[in-house]
Amino acid sequence: MNTAIWLVRREFWENRAIWMIPAAIAVVMVLIALFGRIDLMSISSQVPSRAFGGGFLLAVGATFFAVLSIYSTWYLLECLYADRKDRSVLFWKSLPISDTTTVMSKLATALLVIPLVYFAAADLTALTMAFIISVRASSSVGGALWHVDLWLQLQVLWIYMIVTTALWYLPVAGYLLVVSAWAKRAVMLWSILPPVALLLAERWFLGSHVIASQIGARLLGYPAVAFKDDPGGRSWETTVIDEDIVRTPTSIWHFFNLDGFLSTYETWIGAAVGIGLIVCAIQLRTRRTEI
Amino acid sequence: MSALIEARDLTKRYGAHVALDRANFSVEPGRIVGLIGPNGAGKTTALRAILGLTAYEGELKVLDREPFRERTELMRDASFIADVAVLPAWLRVDHAIDFVAGVHPRFRRDRAVALLAKTQITGERRIRELSKGMKTQVHLALTMAIDAKLLVLDEPTLGLDILARRAFYDALVNDYMDETRTILITTHQVEEVENLLTDVLFINKGRIVLDSSLDDIATRYAAVAVAGESLEAARAERPFHERPMLGKVVLYYEQPNFEKLAALGEVHTLSVADLFVAKLSGGAA
Repeated sequence: MNTAIWLVRREFWENRAIWMIPAAIAVVMVLIALFGRIDLMSISSQVPSRAFGGGFLLAVGATFFAVLSIYSTWYLLECLYADRKDRSVLFWKSLPISDTTTVMSKLATALLVIPLVYFAAADLTALTMAFIISVRASSSVGGALWHVDLWLQLQVLWIYMIVTTALWYLPVAGYLLVVSAWAKRAVMLWSILPPVALLLAERWFLGSHVIASQIGARLLGYPAVAFKDDPGGRSWETTVIDEDIVRTPTSIWHFFNLDGFLSTYETWIGAAVGIGLIVCAIQLRTRRTEI
Repeated sequence: MSALIEARDLTKRYGAHVALDRANFSVEPGRIVGLIGPNGAGKTTALRAILGLTAYEGELKVLDREPFRERTELMRDASFIADVAVLPAWLRVDHAIDFVAGVHPRFRRDRAVALLAKTQITGERRIRELSKGMKTQVHLALTMAIDAKLLVLDEPTLGLDILARRAFYDALVNDYMDETRTILITTHQVEEVENLLTDVLFINKGRIVLDSSLDDIATRYAAVAVAGESLEAARAERPFHERPMLGKVVLYYEQPNFEKLAALGEVHTLSVADLFVAKLSGGAA
């Protein structure tokens, strides 16, 4: 356990971007709150205050989450490769740490630790921005940002997304680790070429697109399985703004689809493939010392 | 006590290339062994096998463990510097000490700190900011602070100047070495380690061509320089190598008849470097 903590700490030393990128986003967003023209902002009395507040929290969270997905992908692709490229793998392997522990520490960093850092950064940013905006903007805007139940919902949403995306993207993460442990150069190219080659080959020789649709589902299909599109009547609040009927969700709870996510075979086949690929990555880490 | 390292028919192939060809050798505890061979002889491959960094064929036991299968356990009792400049560039010196102290049960922090205090290196510097010699000093401090039964060094002083090299070997022998430890070392600078080694292993083309203690080299091998008229008589004593020198011919013998040689010319013992050259240059010309 102690070793695991040191390994994660090591990742923070090596990859300062883990905290520097979210810190930079936070600074930019706080600057916008400080100097943006929000003092002119006002909301029509027709717009529900909760819809405005929820929209604000989701926008801040989504910004962090989008950057997080890109950074985690890059991190997984680079983490094992970097040790071989600079030959420091020879130093790490002189210590009594198994290759399994090493690979698992990288996986846990990418799927849990880094998302938690972004989660904390998103919360702090939203809190700071809400405070600044409350001071600067009109009371209707400021008041809309402080619905305690919306804040709680956002915390649950983050945790829910971290856990379900970790499970859903496990095969992608496993594949990236295999490339990172295996490639002699150009990890980016190696991460993209084999899947593209496979789906093109399938299309030319078999005329089908099973692989393409599987990869597509794995990369883009996440929200569809983890969330409900339309949880039904009780979940929406309808308002009329300038003769348009606007539906806003009353709360986030009805949109979670945890049952569905955990009961679809796709989740578990993906997890099994992911575990298989992670075992491969550990084997490659054991056998491939240098480039 | 059983051997610390025991290799039987140790073989490693890279495709068609055979880097280690049924090598047999053993290393006893408490020794300082030099693994010596020309470039491409299989030195590095042998070390990698011993340290569990590569799979191999044949039998290999290090501290009663199979290195490749049990690397993690082996690394609690063995430490190594497999190459120069392999510390990651982004690592800070104090973090390096913290990390090894955190994960290694046999690491003695005070010792590493004391070793670094003798250098110009401060804790907050990153490896990338250090000169090649300083990088080596950091790595050596980290490695020598581990209470290991076996220390493996592959060209440990490459890139160091003569003062730093001498200081390193002095520290190795005086501060680090004791009867509980064993050191396996490879180097190109045979002359430099000759007086600290207790044993040598010569390796050539993947095979061990000599496995001897230094004491045995003195009693087992001899060379004699003879002038033209004695050459036939000297050759009759079956030298394994000869080379011309200043108008004479130096002939090298294994287990010679010392009385007969003394009658031919001045007999002298062989240095490790002499023996290495003689053994690897092949038979009598």
